[in-house]
Amino acid sequence: MAIMRVADHPGLYDPADEAPSLAGSCCNVCGRVAFPPVAIGCDLCGAGEASLEPIELEASGILHSFATVHVRHGDLEAPFTIGEVQLKAGPLIRATMAPDQANLAIGQQVSAVWRVARVDDEGIEVVEPVFVAVER
Amino acid sequence: MTASLGELRPVRVVGVGLHPYQRPSDVPYTALGVHAVRAALADAGLTWRDVESAYTGTATTAMGMSRLMYRHLGSTGIPMAQVENASASGSTAFRQACIEVAAGLVDVAIAVGVDKPLQLSLPQRAAGVRDLVGSRVAPITHFALLAERYMHDHGATPEQIALVAVKNSRNGALNPNAQRRKARTLEDVLASPLISGHLTRLQCCPIGEGAAAVIIASDDAIERLGLDQARAVRVLSSASRSETVYDGENFDAALTRETAAQALAEAGVTPADLDIVELHDAFTVEELLYLEAIGISPPGQAARDLEEGQFDIGGRVAVSPSGGLLSMGHPIGPTGVGQICEITAQLRGEAGDRQHPGARIGLAHMVGLGAVCLVHILAA
Repeated sequence: MAIMRVADHPGLYDPADEAPSLAGSCCNVCGRVAFPPVAIGCDLCGAGEASLEPIELEASGILHSFATVHVRHGDLEAPFTIGEVQLKAGPLIRATMAPDQANLAIGQQVSAVWRVARVDDEGIEVVEPVFVAVER
Repeated sequence: MTASLGELRPVRVVGVGLHPYQRPSDVPYTALGVHAVRAALADAGLTWRDVESAYTGTATTAMGMSRLMYRHLGSTGIPMAQVENASASGSTAFRQACIEVAAGLVDVAIAVGVDKPLQLSLPQRAAGVRDLVGSRVAPITHFALLAERYMHDHGATPEQIALVAVKNSRNGALNPNAQRRKARTLEDVLASPLISGHLTRLQCCPIGEGAAAVIIASDDAIERLGLDQARAVRVLSSASRSETVYDGENFDAALTRETAAQALAEAGVTPADLDIVELHDAFTVEELLYLEAIGISPPGQAARDLEEGQFDIGGRVAVSPSGGLLSMGHPIGPTGVGQICEITAQLRGEAGDRQHPGARIGLAHMVGLGAVCLVHILAA
C-alpha cells in the first residue's frame, strides 16, 4: 500500500513521487526555466501566462553555496543548513540540506531526498525535499 | 530627447541635518524628522518658507505621514509625498528632489528620510510567491551564502570579512549620530554570537530609528537667497536601476556594477577618482562585493585591500567614514539620505575627527529589496 504523503510546500513538488522532483515553469517564447514556477508572466521576456508551461525539473545539481543557520529562523530548530543548488535544468535555487550532511563543499553533486517535516493529526506524513551530497 | 541629471541645470546640496540613529524609543517620528529638518535649514541658512517641495523617504512607519510631520514647521501648502523603495527609500527621495530642481519645477526641495521600525512588510507573501525555504532564509543568510561563495572563489577568510566591521566600528565611534559608537577589535567581532554561516552579530547592521534631511537648490536659488556658494556640493549624477535576470551571478553585485557604471559615466569620473564611498554594508561581506562591483578593487582583491588599510579614513579611498550601516545604523528611510549628509560634510571639509584629507568626489550607493539600486556621485 502506498504511503499517504502531502507536500509541505503545495505546488512546488508532487509528494506522491518516489524520489523528489521540482515543479518549475518554462517559457515557450524565450526558453526561460524558472523555479519557483512563474504563472502571471515570464520574468525574462514578459510573455503572458499562455506561454508558460509547467515543467518537471530534476532535483539535482551542483552545490553553489551553503550556510548553517545558528539561530532559529522560521519553522526549523537551529542549527540547520541552507544550500544554494545550481540545478542541471538551469535555475539556481535555495533549499534546506538534510540534517546529517557533514563536510559539505561548494562544487559537490547534490540531489534531493524526502524529509518528513511532521506527521499530521491523521497520521499523514508532511514531506519536503532536502538535499544530500551524492557519493561519486 | 532625454537628458541625464548632469545635463540639466546644476543642482547642489546646500544643507544637511540629522537626528542621531538610535534604538527604537517612544519619540514620535514627527519629532525625529523635524529635528533633522531644522538642522538642515540652519546648516543652509534657510527657513521652511524657502522650501518648495518635500519628499519623505520611509518604508516602515505609516501611510500618509508627511504632513503630520512637516506641519510643525508651519503650513506652507507645498507638495509632499512619501517615497518607498525598501532600503533605498531615502536615496530615491533624494533622487526625486534632485530631479525636480534640475527640471526647473522648483528652486529648493528637501529630501527627508525618517522611520521607526513599526511595521515590516512581507512583499513575497503579498505576491503569493512561495519557495522551498520561506522564512528559514533571513537577510543574513542570503549574505552568509554570498560570503561562503566569495571565500570559495577568492580564498578570502572569515577574519578578512570581519575586518569590515572593525573598520566601520572605528569610524562609527567618531560619529555622534551613529547608533553603534564603540570601536571593536577583530576579536570582539568574531566573539559576538554566530548567527548564520560565518557571520556574527557584529557583522549585521542594527535596525533602529532616526532621521536625515538634505536640502537641494538651484544656482538661481543660491544667488537669490544669498547662500554660501563655497559650502554647496554639486550632485554630478543620479543612477537608479532594478534587477534583471543574471543567470548564476550574484544579483546584488551585478546590479551594483551596472548602476555604478552608469553613475560614473554620467558624472565623467572613474573609480580611481573617488575619495569617499558610502555603501550598503548591511552585512560585512557586502562591502567587499560592492567595492569590486563599483571597480574600486579588482575582482577578489577587496579583502586584501581592506586589510592593508586602503579603505580607512586617510587611506586610498575612505569607505563608510560615517560608520556605514554596520555602525551608523540602518533605520531604513533615513539611511540613503544620511549617506548624502556624510558625503557633503566630507566634501566641505567639515567632517571633524572623521575627515578624509583632500576629499573632492564622493559616491553614495544603496540597494533595496526587490531588488533596486541607486548610486549618486557628488563633487566639492
